[in-house]
Order: sequence, then structure tokens, then C-alpha cells
Amino acid sequence: MTTPTSTRPTAKKRLTGAVANTALLAYFAFSLIPVAFIIALSLKTNSEQTTTYLSFTPTFENYSTVLGLDGGGSSYLRFFGASLITSIGAVLVSLLIGIPAAYAAARHRFKGSENLMFTLLSFRFAPELIVIIPLSVIYQQLGLYDTFFGMIWVLQLVTMPLVVWILRSFFRDLPVELEQAALLDGYTRRQAFLKLVLPLVRPGIAAVCLLAFIFAWNNFIFPFTLTSSNAQTVTVSSLAFLGGNQVRFNLVAAGAVMAALPPLVLALLIQRYLVRGLSFGAVKD
Amino acid sequence: MAAISVDTLRKTFGRGAGVVTALDDVSFDVGDGEFFCLLGPSGAGKTTTLKSIAGLVEPDKGAVRIGGQDVADVEPTHRNLAMCFESYALYPQHNVFDNMASPLRSPRLRMPAADVRSRVGRIADMLGIGHLLDRSVTQLSNGQRQRVALGRVLVRPAHAYLLDEPLAHLDAKLRATMRAELKAISTDGLTTTVYVTHDYVEALSLADRIGVLREGRILQVGTPREMWASPANAFVAQAFGKPRINMLAGGLRTSRDHASTSESASSGLGRSAPRDGTHAFVAGGVEIPLRDIDAPPGESVQLAVRPRDLRLHVGAGDPPPGKVRLDGVVYVLEHLGRQTEVTVQIGESLVSVVAPRAAVPTLALDDKVGVLIDPSTTHVFLSGEEGKRVSP
Amino acid sequence: MTVTAAPARRRDDDEVRPEALQTAPTVSRRRRALRPYLLAVPAVLLCVGILYPFFLGVAYTFYNFSDANPQPSFVGWENYTALFTSGSFWHSVQVTLMFAVVATGVETVLGVGVALLLNRSSWVGRIFERALIVPLMVAPIIAAIMWKLLLLPEVGWVRPVAEGLGFAGYSGTDSAAWAFIWSVVVDVWIYTPFVAILALAGLRSLPSSPFEAAAVDGARWWLTFRRLTLPMLWPYLLVAVIFRLMDCLKVFDIIYGLTTGGPGDATTTLQINAYLEAISYARYSRGVTYMFILWIAVYVISMILVRYLNKIQSRSAGV
Repeated sequence: MTTPTSTRPTAKKRLTGAVANTALLAYFAFSLIPVAFIIALSLKTNSEQTTTYLSFTPTFENYSTVLGLDGGGSSYLRFFGASLITSIGAVLVSLLIGIPAAYAAARHRFKGSENLMFTLLSFRFAPELIVIIPLSVIYQQLGLYDTFFGMIWVLQLVTMPLVVWILRSFFRDLPVELEQAALLDGYTRRQAFLKLVLPLVRPGIAAVCLLAFIFAWNNFIFPFTLTSSNAQTVTVSSLAFLGGNQVRFNLVAAGAVMAALPPLVLALLIQRYLVRGLSFGAVKD
Repeated sequence: MAAISVDTLRKTFGRGAGVVTALDDVSFDVGDGEFFCLLGPSGAGKTTTLKSIAGLVEPDKGAVRIGGQDVADVEPTHRNLAMCFESYALYPQHNVFDNMASPLRSPRLRMPAADVRSRVGRIADMLGIGHLLDRSVTQLSNGQRQRVALGRVLVRPAHAYLLDEPLAHLDAKLRATMRAELKAISTDGLTTTVYVTHDYVEALSLADRIGVLREGRILQVGTPREMWASPANAFVAQAFGKPRINMLAGGLRTSRDHASTSESASSGLGRSAPRDGTHAFVAGGVEIPLRDIDAPPGESVQLAVRPRDLRLHVGAGDPPPGKVRLDGVVYVLEHLGRQTEVTVQIGESLVSVVAPRAAVPTLALDDKVGVLIDPSTTHVFLSGEEGKRVSP
Repeated sequence: MTVTAAPARRRDDDEVRPEALQTAPTVSRRRRALRPYLLAVPAVLLCVGILYPFFLGVAYTFYNFSDANPQPSFVGWENYTALFTSGSFWHSVQVTLMFAVVATGVETVLGVGVALLLNRSSWVGRIFERALIVPLMVAPIIAAIMWKLLLLPEVGWVRPVAEGLGFAGYSGTDSAAWAFIWSVVVDVWIYTPFVAILALAGLRSLPSSPFEAAAVDGARWWLTFRRLTLPMLWPYLLVAVIFRLMDCLKVFDIIYGLTTGGPGDATTTLQINAYLEAISYARYSRGVTYMFILWIAVYVISMILVRYLNKIQSRSAGV
């Protein structure tokens, strides 16, 4: 939107600008102060955490304690590893299954394709416990409770709809005549897909991978209800830190900061595709 | 090279109430080495026909034969056809050279690199894009992209070339040059070509034969000369020529009605030169004698005559023998270089006449003017947009 | 063999002989029609793998199945009648609806506001725009923990601010009203960027010509916004609203992390209640009945909204 700019901003315009900037600053204060707070808390010593607000000597002690670097023993790294394994595993399975399905749904209007898409979308919107309650019974019977495999399976509810919906929108953006040209050039359908289509949607696949990873990583309710120790993830353990009798808030803060870090870093890499990703391909930037 | 035969192809898109018939029993044969043009307005089904031949669109009914063989079950990959898409369909991640080399390097041909280089180089030079080979196709103008797309077709051996509006996005000058270039290729080359266009000039100048397509139906197939000289119906007649062929609505009478003609002539509306004939075309008191009309008297028909077959007759005096004079006034006057397009209002209808500029130096708007029709240059169709030809 | 002057053949490859077609591999029509289905088979299998527990869960709603009664026994509509006559159920329906409507409403208004402010380039926007997504990328449970600590009287920063502003007796989330308010605040904190990002994408995709025309006409800002910006932005906003509303109806992480549904049952939403029933008290049938009713509501609402969205999107695409 462009507005005609006069050579000298009037007093009224300057006032509007100031009000707008103040409002925006106020929002970002609301948005970022909790982050500043948790970082500050994670850098405080035990005695400082309840006695000071802003003036303290920062220390990384809490981080080394949480990670068990001080020799005190800690299972945080194990939880971190479980988060990594289940999230990456879930994304890989979703890609393997989701890419062909997304491609089929984008290119062919076959019977039931819309049903498949809506079933997947309804997974995204369904309250998780409706699946978790029966699934916990099934998992107990099959021995999948508290296993990586069990977690990867159930995380498909999170990652699969995302992968299929977003990739379908990327595939749809690609003119079908490109593939037709490749067919006539003498490539088979498979070769055209692998050599032409996939490289062209690579940015989309990368973005969807990272986004699916973030959502899998951030998920709480599935590992909370379907794991106990082996496959427990950082999100669950972060909450567990809050329990117990002697709560050390600075340690909780350090654990939370570390659990929040991987998604934040990855999110910076895919800012360009965030809009399409967050809206399941409904909005393109 | 191979002959292509398209046999009663039928294709519908959509379902339920929104169903659209794209092809409605389309049939035509293209001979081995022939240059065949499909001409029609947009939405006529030209691209769908082409894609059905290529195997990219699966027809609901009918067959496509290449070299006599039904290819229904042969994948596009194996049909060995080259197609130039109207959207170009260039691979955006490759440069010009790699785009043009793609069919040669494909698993079907696997041409040695040196051959690829020489072929691509030769065709690129011919198309005037030799200096662009290293350029990414995303950096090209539309005209350049179109030539790359054409080049990707011309570099390779194929049973047939399928060209979908390959000159549509070029500017006028380049289009004329490329048309000449294609003409040269088609005369010395032997590759069967199906060429889709909406431009009748391209069709007339390039094609061995033309098929006119409208709303998914083939209206007529014939050589350019046949299409021009004896269009099968009113639509085909109007598809060729600019300004468009003139259409005058009227009725048929037998020639014994000469008496009435004289009456109308004396009333000043028109003067006729009576001739022997079995029929006469009558409209607004004018009568034009016609021969061998294959329709009963009383039938309502349209008389078509091309603007260049008409002559202006300024001033008084009898029309030359064998011609009919219609009287009207100048409605629009457009000087186009050495020629002038004059639109004359005759009664309710407007008639275009193309005359040498020298012949109408003093003509001005609203001048009274006579238009001379030579009955032997007219076509007669039954009424309606696709009225059947009834003149010989 | 006679040597005659054959026409100079430009193409001289064997490849082009029509006979080659006869040896070309063929794919039958049936096989071609089957192709898209084959690609979708793994996804369909996965859906079945997810739908099986779902249908098993639906079946549980007609059984009495709990730790106390580990052999499920058929009870017909008993779980439903028990639910519809229980105050706890209706209470959590009320809490859930209040939460969803208030949170979605605040997020939409605030998100559009932030998007509008970010769209008029200013130094604040340039500095902070990249930080917009920070709350959105933090796991909701982590966000809840952050806010729980922030609100804790012992270590948080809210108490000194509250007391500085003259609110005596600050107690964090200990009172019912404040527990609800703070839950909404956390949801707003996380998801306002979501609305803002979509709205900003919408704003930046709007054509500039109508706005230039409006500016030339001297149209007031509010009028331009209501008559021009908002209608054109509506398809984008609707996507955001659909996602927010659906997610709020099944909210769990934020409330569980912040209040565990308390104090008492002040913030016990439907999914929290289902969790308590099914996991804490091991009354599986009861819990899954809660969820099935919520699922039906979510499904119907999302169907209606998505259909409306499709209509709007195809309409604005047609313009």
C-alpha cells in the first residue's frame, strides 16, 4: 500500500506515527519480555532466583546442571535425544508416505482424493485424546507403549496432514505441462517426477520438513500420555521438572530454554514459507 | 515420420451439471510427412486434440493411430512425438542448451554429447537463439522462450511434430520471419506435423491441409485452396480472410422472378444484369442471379462474398456486363497503405470492400456509392452460423 | 537394389521408423486408471492405522470400560446420558467455549492490528518483525511453563509490576477468574503472531490501485479499512480464525501446564476433563465419550467453515 507522501509530514501525521510506533513497541514488549524473563531466570543462582529481579550475576551453572555436565547425573540429554529421534523419524515417515500421496492428489482428481485430504485435515483438527485413549490400550497390548516406534507412529497425526497439504499446494503450483514436456522428451513418469518435479519443489520439501519437525518436537500430549521414560521427550520432562518437592525454578528455566531453542533456530531458516506452512497451503505468500 | 489418424475422438471434462464437451467425434487423417493445420477460435478443442494425439489427454472414446497402429496403450514417453506447448513448458532450472538437449539426452535417445551439441547448435542458430544457449530460460523474453520451445521440438527426430501456437507470442515482424522459416523447414523436411493455430494466415501459408475446428467438432478438412475457394459452411467461410467475408442474409427464388427484379430496379434500389440461371438471391429488393444452387426456392440463405472480390462503382452508369450493382453510402473509410477498406451501408447491412487506394481518391464519408458483385465469386450458405454451402 | 535419387532425408535415425511403436511398451487402460490410487495407498493405509483406534474409541463410548471394569461391557447410551446429566461436562463445555471465543477474538483483533502496524514501515517494525514468530515457535507447553514461572509470586516479574500498580494481594493463577484470564493471555501470547503473519501476507498481497484511488478520494482511514481492506483481507483472516477456533476448542497443553485445570475446575476445558477422566481416574469410556462429542462439534464446525472458505476463495480468485 502506498500513500502519497507530502514533502513535509504534518504534525498530525507525525503524531499518528508516534502512536503507531508506541503501540507496536508495547506489543513486542508483551511478546518478548516473557522470553527475556525465562532467560534471566535460567542464568540466576539458587539464592538469586527469589531475591532479585534484574540485578544478578549471570551464570551457566543451571545449564550444566540440567545437562548433567557437573557430574550430578541427568537424563535431560536422553530426553533431548528422544525428541530428536521421534521428531526426525516422524518427518521421514511422513515424507515417504506423504510425497506420493500429495503428488497424486495434486495431479489427479481421482475418486476419494478429496476424502483422503479431508480425512488428513480432520486429523489436524481432532482432539488428540480421542485417539490416545484407545491407542494407549492398543499400545499396551502390542508393546508399543513408551517406544520410539510408537511415538513416530502417533506423531503422524501431527506431521502427515502438514506434509500432504503443503506439498500438494507446492505440486499444484508446478505447471502440469512441464511434466508432459518431459514425457514427450522420452522420460518415463517416474523419471520425470524424480528428475524434474522433485528438484523444483525442493525448497517446499525443505520447508515442510523443518515445519513438521518443529511441530513434532513441540508436541506434548502424545509423549505425555504414551511414554513414561524410554521415549519421553523434552517437552514432557520440562513439565516434570516443575513437579517434586524442592523445585528449582532456575533449572526449570534452563531446561525450558534449551527445549525451545531447536524450533526457534529452524524457524528462522524457513521464514519465507512460514505463511504457506502455517495455513496448510491455504494462503500463499 | 509416420501418418497420424484421429478417429472419432470424444472427450468431456468435468462432471454433473458442469460437464464440458471438449471434443465431439473429431476425425481427420494426416499423411506421412504432411503439414496439417488445425485452425479454430480459442476453446475449440485444438490443444485437447493435440494432447490426445500425444497421449497426454486420455480420450473418452475414439482412437489415435500413428503409422497405422492404435497407440491407446502406448505411453507418451514411447509415442516418439515432439510437442511445442503454447505455455512453452520450459524447464525453469535449466539453461537454454539443456532445455533443447533434453529430448536428445533422454533415456529413449541417449545421443552422444558431441551429436547433441551440433544438433542443438544448428537449430539454435536457425532460430536466432544461438547466442542465448548459456542463458537461464527464466531470463528470456516470451519471444525467445517460444523459440526455445520450438527448438526443443526441431532438434529431435520424431514420428511427428505437434506444434501448439508456436508463433503466437512473437511480435509481428518476428512472426513473419519465423513463419517463413517454418515454411522452409516444412517443405524440405519430411516430418509429419500437426500445427495448431487461431491465425488463418499461418494456416493458409504453412499447411498442406487445414482442418477447421469449432466447439470440439471438425467442420471441414481441405487444402488451403479448397478452404478459401469452397468453404463448406458459413463458419469456415468467415474463418479465413480479413476483413471478414461479407454475409448478406436473404432468400432464394427461381429465376422466373426476373420480372420482379426489373420492378425493383426501376424503383431505384438496385440494378441488375439479368443472366441465365436457375436461382436468384433476393434481399431488400436486390436480386443476384446464381447457378446450380442445391437448395429449393424459398429457402432463406446467406450470400457470402469476399471484400477483395467486390468493386466500387462510383457515379452513374450501367454496371459492366455480368455484374450486379448494389447502391449504398460510405459508412467507414480506412486507408491502409496502398489499399483502402471501405465499409458501405447497403440497406440494413454493412459490406466491406477492399479497393486500391488509387481507385477511390475522392471518396468521403456518406458519399453515395455502388458496389459491384460478380455472381461467380459468391458463395451461398443456408442461414445459421454453420449454414451449409449450397453453391457449387 | 536400384540407386535412385532419394529425397534428402533430414532425419535419418532408425528411431523414427513407425515400426518402433509396435515394440513400445504398453500400459493398459486399467493400469493407467489405477496409478493415482497406487501412489495414495501408503497414505490410505496410514489413515486406516489412525482411524482404527478412532473407531475403537467410538465403540468404547457404548461400553463401560475402566480400570475398575477392565472387561468392557456394553452399556448402550449410558455414557452419553451420564455425560449430558453431569454438571462437570456442561461446566467444561462452558469453559471451553468461553476460552475459544475470547482467545480467538482477542488474537484476531490484536493480530490484525499488529499486521497493520507492521505493514506501515517504521523503524520498530524493521527491528522487530523477525522476532514476531518467536512465541509461535516455542512449544505451547514450554510457553505455559514460562508463563507459570513469570506469574509465580516467588520468582516472577508480574508480582512486582502488579504491586507497583497498586494491586495488593497478587496471587498469580490462584483465583478462578485470574486462572482463566491468564490462560487466555498465554494463548494470545503464542498465537497472535499466527494471525498477524497470515494477515500481513494478506495485506502485502492486496493490489495497491484501489487504495491509491481511495487516497485520492480522500477517504478516511477507518472507511478505507472497513470498506476496502477488511473485505479483501477476509479470506486470509478466515483461514486464521478457522485454525485458531479449532485449536482453542481442543486446548490442552497451555492449560495443563499453567493451571492443570484449576483452581478447582475453573479452567477445566473439555480435553482437560477427558484427560482427568481417562488417564487420572482411568475411566476410559467416560473420557472417550467427552472426546467424541468434542470431535463431532469440531468436525461440523470445521466443515462449515472450510466450505465457506472455499466459497470465498473461489469468489476472490474470480475477481
